[in-house]
Amino acid sequence: MTASLLTDAPGRCMKCGFCMSNCPVYGIDPIESHVARGRNMLILQKQAGTLPPGKAYVQSLSHCLLCGRCRAVCPAKVSSPEITVAARAAVVRQQGVSWSQALVFRGILKHRHLMAHLAGIAARLPGLGSKQGTPLRHMADMTAVVSAGIAIPRLSRPFLADRLKSIRKPPDPSATRGRVVFFAGCGFEFFFSGMGQAMVEILTRSGFEVVYPQSQGCCGIAAYNAGDVKTARKMASANLSAFTDCDAIVTGCATCGTALKHYGHWLPQGNGLRAAAESLAGKVWDFSHFVHHHGFPGQPRRKRPLKVTYHDPCHLRWHQGIIEPPRRLLAGLQDIDYVEMDGADACCGLAGSFAITHQETSRAIQAKKMAAIARTKADVVVTSCPGCIVQLMDGAQRHHVPVKVMHIGQMLNKFEAGANHGE
Amino acid sequence: MSLSKEVIQALAEITGKDGMRVDPVDMSVYAYDATTRWRGMPEAVVFPTQVDQISAIMALANAHIIPVTVRGAGTSLSGGPVPTAGGIVMCMTRMNRILNIDTDNFTVTAEVGVVLNDLNMALAKHNLFFPPDPQSFLAATLGGCLSEGAGGPYAVKYGLFKHYILGMTVVLASGDILKLGGNTMKNVTGYDLPQLLCGAEGTLAVIADATFRLLVAPQAKQTVMAIFDDVTQAGKAVHRVRSAGVLPAKIEMIDNWVIRRIEEHTPLGLPLSAAAILLFQMDGMAPAVEKETDQVIELCRKTGAAEVRPAKDATEAQNFWTARSFGFSAVFGSAPTLISEDVVVPTSRIADLIQCIKALERTHDLTIVLLGHAGDGNLHPCILTDMDDADHYERAQMASNAIFDAALAFGGAISGEHGIGLEKQQILKKAMPAQGIDLLKQIKRAFDPKGILNPGKIWEAS
Ligand SMILES: Cc1cc2nc3c(=O)[nH]c(=O)nc-3n(C[C@H](O)[C@H](O)[C@H](O)COP(=O)(O)OP(=O)(O)OC[C@H]3O[C@@H](n4cnc5c(N)ncnc54)[C@H](O)[C@@H]3O)c2cc1C
Ligand code: SF4
Ligand code: SF4
Repeated sequence: MTASLLTDAPGRCMKCGFCMSNCPVYGIDPIESHVARGRNMLILQKQAGTLPPGKAYVQSLSHCLLCGRCRAVCPAKVSSPEITVAARAAVVRQQGVSWSQALVFRGILKHRHLMAHLAGIAARLPGLGSKQGTPLRHMADMTAVVSAGIAIPRLSRPFLADRLKSIRKPPDPSATRGRVVFFAGCGFEFFFSGMGQAMVEILTRSGFEVVYPQSQGCCGIAAYNAGDVKTARKMASANLSAFTDCDAIVTGCATCGTALKHYGHWLPQGNGLRAAAESLAGKVWDFSHFVHHHGFPGQPRRKRPLKVTYHDPCHLRWHQGIIEPPRRLLAGLQDIDYVEMDGADACCGLAGSFAITHQETSRAIQAKKMAAIARTKADVVVTSCPGCIVQLMDGAQRHHVPVKVMHIGQMLNKFEAGANHGE
Repeated sequence: MSLSKEVIQALAEITGKDGMRVDPVDMSVYAYDATTRWRGMPEAVVFPTQVDQISAIMALANAHIIPVTVRGAGTSLSGGPVPTAGGIVMCMTRMNRILNIDTDNFTVTAEVGVVLNDLNMALAKHNLFFPPDPQSFLAATLGGCLSEGAGGPYAVKYGLFKHYILGMTVVLASGDILKLGGNTMKNVTGYDLPQLLCGAEGTLAVIADATFRLLVAPQAKQTVMAIFDDVTQAGKAVHRVRSAGVLPAKIEMIDNWVIRRIEEHTPLGLPLSAAAILLFQMDGMAPAVEKETDQVIELCRKTGAAEVRPAKDATEAQNFWTARSFGFSAVFGSAPTLISEDVVVPTSRIADLIQCIKALERTHDLTIVLLGHAGDGNLHPCILTDMDDADHYERAQMASNAIFDAALAFGGAISGEHGIGLEKQQILKKAMPAQGIDLLKQIKRAFDPKGILNPGKIWEAS
């Protein structure tokens, strides 16, 4: 798999340069090694053994958000993000995890007080303790982001697992429409557990029995994207074993959803769980897609119309092709004045540890996003990914944009509850 | 030749540390353009952001006689920006500001690193229209397009980049900064130097910014697709429409090979048996568009079109054009080496050229895909081959040479819009008399006495 991803796939790049028009990183600074075309050429040469030595290779590999926008515009349908991940994995195989790990953990180690928190969390991640030296990637990204001075709410206790019973029945159990597993991911487990709870409440009120397997863990995508395939596989296997019999697996995290849908690709041929992973893919739903598909029982009761705009997480739009369901859900709410922002599909700039390792570029991408949000004069910007939420909250503060950042589940839940919201 | 420490340090002082790269890995991504066969490693890449920096870099390079290859987005199809002489690549992508959109006088002034698509999006907000549309518009820069003499489907009615240039700021090899031309619709002030720089492939001077004239966006548009069972017949239809005095904005052609790729990827319900499709776009005032559309439909039918489909609505029109642009990319991805020609003939001879290419395809046992801007006589026959397969590659080159000969014999030219660069140097000798080439060299010497700007391009080193 990897060999063809590293040779055949980039070999199909015809150097037309179209990806330049759609790449957020190239948009900030138009340098060839920052865009899919240049990276594909470097990877091809690396494979052929003709690339001169130089640290710019690894720098180029890291200079990608893996947002998937290049693939959307590529006439040759070259899957550049996957190629980049495979190339990172090849570097990790040769040089060990340390180079990528170092990048992520640099931020954390500088802020020792956070390590305590991290250690507490580590216990909850199946088979992975920070002491063993294996990274808690996705989690680590999130925590590192905190320590890199990005303004997000600190760890929100109680964590989601402590807020939820293992199984929640719908209010009228006789009318149960199905059984879903809720996959929280690190964002909703540890940082935005209130939002996680809101989603579970909507699912139960929509008539679903919600199972919350306590042994679920980090989705592993950050490890995978950093090229640390070994760790990512462990995480995937742990999750696959945690999922019980269900009709659907629902997640409110666009990034986790992408990971869950791709577990089949992560596991090697011959791995016993691969078949399970492949059949699981069809059952994975993004929260907004699921709720939109099955109908949302909300009864909006707001007095003052709220101006709302929506930001597309790259992992939802470009990796899963989910564009309309969240917008329809929002537009379906009464008393909402929905405005589309310019470039709603443009990346927020976080991209996991990219925000720390490439702070300047990340901030520049964020600035564009915040300017677009500010122009809408929206009260609320809704999105579907905790990573984006972090970056948008930080951006609102940094750029003094008076906008509240909400997860779509939180938004729907508020409307449904119809309480007086004091924002 | 390798750059001395002092030169590298001097460059870094001009552009700032961030404005220069020397890491060999970074050099590798400035070693190519969009052709499959040309490579050349630079020793330093600089990213100027101001005309003063360009000037200082040129003065330095001139003093030390270091080759400088200017680069836009590197989408050239002739090897133009490939730094075969080593030295410095001057990448213009950071000079990407639109300086002024003059909505009163219908002009725009922009730095050369602006991407054509970004310019179009900015102009659309003012309902203004800049017609030249090379199909690399998502990436290509204004400087690259000017320097390659680029144009696209709109060339039939609206012409090329060079037909819109009014003035420019350039930096000579010596480092001197000059304003050429101006911002008026007419300007006869000695030799037309801005025109000389159009298509000069970065061999005469560095263009820093350019002023173009603009049009108002046309009121109405209509797309028509005509399907033919015979490619030659399609070629005849092009000429028939043109000679009847109808002037569509675009007339594009794709052949059976492309039609099949389209149906494999994004089916549009095109008949797989069709030998060729012509796509027409009429634009202008609504009543005129309607009348021209009727004429085109009628003329295509009379020339034996199997079917003529006017696009029902804007979406269908868009689909037709997407299919056309897909054509180019389908060709690109489909062979290890691609010889993509750019011949142009008078429209009365298109059918002859097509017939000749079809014969070459058979006699040399090759796949030659036919597509292009048929409306202005400019075809891009694409020979699918593999440089590593000596026998195949030799046949491909024979066919390629025969296509050039045919185009010249029909009173045409060897390149309509991609330039000579490295790709067509050998053929230049056939297309231009020795005295002509000598004049080119004299002009080059007048601009760049030490020969540091993009050396080794256009004519063969002697
Ligand atoms: C998919 C595809 C479709 C294409 N379709 C068309 C088409 O329809 N019509 C058409 O005409 N062409 C087409 N082309 C080729 C066309 O020549 C280039 O796309 C475009 O003109 C080059 O722009 P660039 O910015 O990439 O320039 P580059 O490729 O970087 O450079 C081109 C030449 O210009 C010189 N140059 C660049 N900037 C400057 C400057 N500021 N001052 C002086 N010299 C400079 C370079 O030295 C080089 O010789 C296509 C190419 C591709 C890949
Ligand atoms: S758009 Fe695709 S084919 Fe074109 S340069 Fe980018 S990756 Fe290569
Ligand atoms: S995945 Fe995103 S950041 Fe990476 S090359 Fe593609 S468009 Fe650029």
